[in-house]
Amino acid sequence: MIGLDFFLDRFGVLLSVLFVFIGLMSFIYSLVTIKQKGHRLEYYLMLLLIVGSGVGVALSYNLLLIFIFWEISTFAIWRTVGFYRKEKDIYAANITFFINFAAAAVMLIGLVILYLDNGTFNFFEIKIYNDLASVLILIGILAKSVTIPLHIWLVPAYKSVPSAIGGCLAGIAENIGVILFFRLFTMGNYFAPEFFNVIAWLAIATSIIAGGAALLSNDLRELLAFSTISQVGFILLGFAVGGTYGMMGGVLYILAHALAKSGLFYGVGLIEDVTGKSDLNAIHGMLKISPVLGVSMALLAGSLVGFFPMIGFFAKLGVIIGAVESAGYFGIGAIIAAVFTIVYVVRFYNKLFFGEKTGKIKGISYTGLTVVFVFALVSLLLGIFIYFPVNYLTGNGGF
Amino acid sequence: MSVNILGFEIEIYYLVVLLPLIGGLFGYLVNRLRTEFNFLGFVLTLFFAIKLFVISRGEVISQITATIFGFESKIYIDSLAGFILLFNAIFAFLVWVYSLKAMSKKPRERAYYLYVALTLAAANGVVLSGNLIFLLIFWNVLVFSLYGILLVGKKDSSFAARKAVTIIGVSDFAMMLGIVILFVKTGTASFPFDPKILPNNPWLMFSYILIFIGAIAKAGAMPLHTWIPESAKVVPASTMAFIPASLDKLLGIYLLVRVSYFIFDISGSMPLRIILMTIGAITIIAAVMMAMVQKEAMRLLSFHAVSQVGYMVLGIGTGIPIAIAGGLFHMINHAIYKSCLFLSAGSVEHRTKTTQLDNLGGLGTKMPVTMFTFIVAAFAISGVPPFNGFYSKWMVYQGVVELSRETNLWPIFLIAAMFGSVLTLASFLKMIHSLFLGQRPKALNKVGEARFEMVVPSLILALACIVFGVFAKAIPLKHFIIPALPFKIGEIGFWTPGLATVLIIVGVIIGLIIFLLGTATKPRRSKIFVGGELLEEESARMTGPNFYSSVNTLGMLKKTYDFGEGGAFDFYNYLLGITRGLAVLFRDVINSLIVAAYKYIGKLTTGLSRLTSALHTGELYNYVGWIFLGGIIILILLVL
Repeated sequence: MIGLDFFLDRFGVLLSVLFVFIGLMSFIYSLVTIKQKGHRLEYYLMLLLIVGSGVGVALSYNLLLIFIFWEISTFAIWRTVGFYRKEKDIYAANITFFINFAAAAVMLIGLVILYLDNGTFNFFEIKIYNDLASVLILIGILAKSVTIPLHIWLVPAYKSVPSAIGGCLAGIAENIGVILFFRLFTMGNYFAPEFFNVIAWLAIATSIIAGGAALLSNDLRELLAFSTISQVGFILLGFAVGGTYGMMGGVLYILAHALAKSGLFYGVGLIEDVTGKSDLNAIHGMLKISPVLGVSMALLAGSLVGFFPMIGFFAKLGVIIGAVESAGYFGIGAIIAAVFTIVYVVRFYNKLFFGEKTGKIKGISYTGLTVVFVFALVSLLLGIFIYFPVNYLTGNGGF
Repeated sequence: MSVNILGFEIEIYYLVVLLPLIGGLFGYLVNRLRTEFNFLGFVLTLFFAIKLFVISRGEVISQITATIFGFESKIYIDSLAGFILLFNAIFAFLVWVYSLKAMSKKPRERAYYLYVALTLAAANGVVLSGNLIFLLIFWNVLVFSLYGILLVGKKDSSFAARKAVTIIGVSDFAMMLGIVILFVKTGTASFPFDPKILPNNPWLMFSYILIFIGAIAKAGAMPLHTWIPESAKVVPASTMAFIPASLDKLLGIYLLVRVSYFIFDISGSMPLRIILMTIGAITIIAAVMMAMVQKEAMRLLSFHAVSQVGYMVLGIGTGIPIAIAGGLFHMINHAIYKSCLFLSAGSVEHRTKTTQLDNLGGLGTKMPVTMFTFIVAAFAISGVPPFNGFYSKWMVYQGVVELSRETNLWPIFLIAAMFGSVLTLASFLKMIHSLFLGQRPKALNKVGEARFEMVVPSLILALACIVFGVFAKAIPLKHFIIPALPFKIGEIGFWTPGLATVLIIVGVIIGLIIFLLGTATKPRRSKIFVGGELLEEESARMTGPNFYSSVNTLGMLKKTYDFGEGGAFDFYNYLLGITRGLAVLFRDVINSLIVAAYKYIGKLTTGLSRLTSALHTGELYNYVGWIFLGGIIILILLVL
């Protein structure tokens, strides 16, 4: 029933490399920003658990094993969100845990039904998909990949989590939901197109609604949280509409969004550290304080929006081609979501980086700056040398 | 066609993208040698662009270099692309020469040159691409470079940059969707299409309109123009001359022509043509009306940069070959005279440190060459024969008149175009008066002619206005415009400027003779007085900005102007308003519903817990009662 059931495929390996890379960057960033004496050991353990569970989900073919990693991830997020142990942090951690755990419990029922029908947890051998089981599993996936209406844990979680591990939360923990979706639902033709159409509409609605919420929010962390919800909608849309372009776009989107959002999260963490504020309207003129941070975050924001030299462009392009191939209306919906993205991202960037300098400023950490810069650089290089990840995924070009 | 550089065979078309990039990047990194690196970059690009232009006249370069992500990265250079490439390089070079003095010692000078080079590289990339997706890639790079170059401002220009990047970004996404629909429905995005697509299917029509939005947003037609006047106030004149006045027009109209006549064929679709022509006509009139009442030089010019796009869109929208050629010709003419106007006005600003028309005047004797270039370009934009603007407008008028065979709406477009031209002349008379004629304020008595580097580019452009007008048929039409279009263009409908030019020259000479022979050289000078009382010159100075102040006090128009100045016609405001409105709706309705649902679930669980905890009170009697009740139930079950 369960053993060390791991396998290597290109999708899994690519995501594992991504997760370990983000984990490493997060570790480096933590070294300079986690100054608190208490439970520092626990912090690093949880960091490793998040990375490890992400890799585990990406490389395992046993659904039960995936579920175990899933729960480890939930547990680790719970501990890290409540890291500072203030009342609001504990409240946020509890919300996070309850929603994720309840949804995972529902998912477990679905997995058990699949097991009873097929006699195996190996998802390569699962052929009979019970409708009820699919819906139950989907609930777990939607909660983990913050899709409306199971998204409400993310905003308090982002507000409480230490910025050093926020990148891991954005880049790793939220992706394991879409990985399971990719593994379980998109390999083979067991589902009616209506099933995927419903998911696609849900993804588009999530993307647009969360984009609107991001446009209204004045808190840096809250804005990033809504932005994440909105972007994960794009990934889900890519997988739901399927086709070569949709799938490829979805995978690239995981890559692009993980890099961009982690980088932005660390950048925002630095800004919060030097200004001591997290209100978008209270912070101005960061470009004069750190041009490197300004350029890096401009590139990352560009990747989030989907402008060319960054990998985000190809991700968005792939998803939109997939959507139009499936039905033209999906394409229109996706573009509306993209319009929301550009409006809120430009607003976010302009408010932070231009205008008069904010009053008292502490020195900026060069290690942290390097981490943000590396994220921007990787996004840029992957965008320019796009044939690298694409050829790797499709198996062309000597890999 | 390739050249050998250091032992590497490299195709020329890569060079026109790589050279400006390398020149700009090295110039940025090695600040001490910036001018040298930039010079090499721009001059070599110009050289290779000329070479490519010459090649493209003879043969079409069409090569698929690689296939990435399922798309061909195709290079396609026909005579249309060749001539746009040439003018990209020319304008970049002229603006660079001008900037040498105009931008020297200005804040963020280094970044400015980098962005100019990046813009040129990306613009060349757009023109080289033979695949729309590939084109979109370079189109996206232009968003970054636009954002960067607008941030190099005279004042805080971050709002203008934000507005520009939002509008251009949104229209880019529209264009992306259009291209994707085209790709999905036809299976390819590489042009030229053979046969061309007739936009008769609703999805294909939608696709055309989306790509059209991308093109006119770049060219700056209404209603996607508002970032141009916004940035005119805060960025240097050379930026205005480079981006909205020349390069953006070249690219936007290039894409429009490509999409309308090389990929789709809109000449068969009357509704689309009416849409194009209407947008063109509205742009002409509305923007020029706004320009009439401006009191700031750059902002006034920027509204004209919008207004003139109307002629191009109108000409291309007619679907009549001569008017399409006219639209394309007007594009190149516009790039020439408008960048000349911006550069000349920039020279005035450089010397006087102001662009408020109220504070200027009487500079004609102090800056004669600048006055000459400005007046030539102003006459060209107003459509005064024999300058180039007249010629291309004439071709557009011809096309609109020819349209009479197909639709009854043609008089509206013709009147809009002609009336727009009149208003343009009116507003330029005001501007010429305010800058160069009238009395000079005392503060400007020490102003001298602009520096050599700044005068030469304007002078070259002004001469080009004359040459392109007088020898229109022999030079620009023959070499650039007619070969670029896939139509046969008949002999009729062209204007012959020869006789008119001679007459005008003769007239000017006679006028000069009369002027010199008469008393005009020795006018009677006296102090200004009213009712015998002498006035101070400064307070009696007649400035230009109020020439047409009666226009915006006329009943209906006044309201419209108030709306316009308040931003009622600003696409950006609507975009923000709609997105924010939707966002509030989502937050208040959907989010509150979800939160209510969660609260309800929470209450339900706590209610259930209360119930179950009420059962466990710890009192023995209760438990005994439960056991008793359970025993009875078991008994009943057993009996049944």
